[in-house]
Amino acid sequence: MMRHTKRHVKDQSLLGIVSLVSLFGILILILIFGYVFKNGAALVSWDLLTNDYYAEVYNSYYDGSLNDTEYVRPNNLSNDAYFSSRWGVAFTDDIDQEGHAVIRIVYVDPDSPLTRLLDKNTEGQTVVITAEQLLDKVIFTGNVILYSMDGAEKAAIKFDAATGIRDMLTSTEGKGIRGSIITTFLLIIMTLFIAIPFGVFTAVYLHEFAPKKSKLVFTFRRLIEMLSGMPSIIFGLLGAAVFIPFTTVFTSADGGNLISGALTLSVIVLPTIISSTEEALTVVPDEFRLASLALGANKTQTTFKVVLRGAIPGILTGTLLAIGRIIGESAALIYAVGTAIKDEIILTERSTSLAVHIWSIMSGEVPNFELASAISLIILAVVLILSLIVKIIARKYAIDPSMRG
Amino acid sequence: MMQINKGRKHRTRSEMKQLIDRLTYAGLFIPALISASIVLFIVFFIAKQGVSPFLPSQYGALSVDIVSFFTGMIWFQTPNVYGIFFIVINTVYIVILASLIAIPIAVVSALFIVKIAPKQIGLVLSTAVELLSAVPSIVFGVFGLGVITGWITDIATFFGTQTAGGISTAATVLVLAMMIFPTICIMSITAIKSVDINLEKNSLALGASRMQTYFKITLSAAKSGIFAGIILGIGRAFGEATAVSMVAGNAGSGPTFDLFTTTRTLTSTMLLGLKETVGLDYDIRFSVGIVLIGIIILTNLILNYAKKQVGRYA
Repeated sequence: MMRHTKRHVKDQSLLGIVSLVSLFGILILILIFGYVFKNGAALVSWDLLTNDYYAEVYNSYYDGSLNDTEYVRPNNLSNDAYFSSRWGVAFTDDIDQEGHAVIRIVYVDPDSPLTRLLDKNTEGQTVVITAEQLLDKVIFTGNVILYSMDGAEKAAIKFDAATGIRDMLTSTEGKGIRGSIITTFLLIIMTLFIAIPFGVFTAVYLHEFAPKKSKLVFTFRRLIEMLSGMPSIIFGLLGAAVFIPFTTVFTSADGGNLISGALTLSVIVLPTIISSTEEALTVVPDEFRLASLALGANKTQTTFKVVLRGAIPGILTGTLLAIGRIIGESAALIYAVGTAIKDEIILTERSTSLAVHIWSIMSGEVPNFELASAISLIILAVVLILSLIVKIIARKYAIDPSMRG
Repeated sequence: MMQINKGRKHRTRSEMKQLIDRLTYAGLFIPALISASIVLFIVFFIAKQGVSPFLPSQYGALSVDIVSFFTGMIWFQTPNVYGIFFIVINTVYIVILASLIAIPIAVVSALFIVKIAPKQIGLVLSTAVELLSAVPSIVFGVFGLGVITGWITDIATFFGTQTAGGISTAATVLVLAMMIFPTICIMSITAIKSVDINLEKNSLALGASRMQTYFKITLSAAKSGIFAGIILGIGRAFGEATAVSMVAGNAGSGPTFDLFTTTRTLTSTMLLGLKETVGLDYDIRFSVGIVLIGIIILTNLILNYAKKQVGRYA
């Protein structure tokens, strides 16, 4: 009896320890999400997604005279906007990414003198002030100065009182990730365009056409298996050693570029697509093949019209997993493309995907945790939604998700 | 006459079909051949560029001495001093520590998810593990730099030492452990699920307690699958680059066994300070890449051998 109780206590305490330890996974997931959300959620906005990364600063002055015309406040202007009828421009108060108060230009009349400003830095160049720019500092004729912390209301008043502009500093906002989003999309599209045909054809060859149990097929499988075990930084070296020289020969590129990046990513996702497709081909019943062949279709017709149709869920799963991998990939792209953040995306030049964008802003002198967390939040949301969809597809079509590469 | 014609026509059609099949075969063989041979390409081209730092024909007086490369304990002090030995030791040390943390937690979690937890809780936990496995390396890096380095700083202060802002061996080990945990856990779940239930029933019938059965019978029956997961996880730990580079630091010499000082791994050596894309400092990263591939293959061979030995006593 004594022994029995002792054993029971031991068993129960072990159970307690096991249960506690098992919370590790979900705890880490919550911590990561919590951290990224706490630091980044405030930053995620439409502006973040659509703005350029680099702020552009304009330094200008007004040379001409003012007409006597009073500009009319447009009807669609929101109530918190302050309008200067003398200059035909409207401002609102806003807060930038670092939380500082700024004056945002929300409307410029098409005939406003502000559309005919001259550049202070380059002789004869005009500067066009447009909506969405920030007003940093203005020195009016008569040395009246307007600072950005004065607020939108004061700005409109000072503009109405002014007869000329000696010096005006405006800027675009910057710190946006539009370029990196475009780059990520381009990389996904190009990579899938290369990897899906290669992966699906390879899977079809291995599963449908290759002689069963031949030594060659065995070797092929082992080599592809080895490929899936390679760390991503090694693929980066492949991109740097093979694909960058390759693309510089055939295109106008002179270094890392998006095409070499897509080629590298194709190699990375290839094993995933092959194994997902093969997994799905295994699920297609043999009766389908036999029935098709018995009806007089040849092997080609049978494979492409009957068997592959049944494998579509598997190909879709592979594609979604591949997209997740492409979005999250960083080490390989650092080598195969580069780490220079760009606003203007050109296929034959460097630019960053969202993940490499994080790497770039984190490896500088002062890491930008807020922006990094915001981008991480976006990446996490997309990747986690993708893997949930994969799980649903897998459950619906009975494909084993543990097969993924 | 008619019949012969008809027969001929028929034959050509089936000949056509056969021809198409043969063309399809060729058309599918070529992508398969390319897919399979990429891995050979990788090894060849990385080796080709990785050997160049040692060739006097390439770098003249600046070429790196291959013996001191493999035995050296200092990385990049003077123009061509590159010693990788301490980096290998650091990397192996970190991977061993990370595995020691991750493996028990992963296996126990898998056991809990499959055997002990109520179905709903098991589903929540296993979904969490799967989602964790989908978290990209760079996000672990941000988390590591933003949170884990903070923990390490606190722990170091508690022990009365200082760290370089938490960037240390300990932070690297923790980040790696978190990253390989889901891999091992998912594979263990699959392995434990496929254990024959009768084994457990027999054990229980013989008077063993529930926990005794799980730890002694279930786990030992699933050990082959669990071992496969461990091999995969350790392979991943060696190759993990981005997150490790963000928390490892940039130590110039070593080896470092102190948990609270900065370190340097093979992958962080390849990734950190990458600026120029020509020259010795760039090419030497390919040499490090060869060493990394070599270590991963070697570890795989050793662990697979161990797996076979363990499997013998099932």
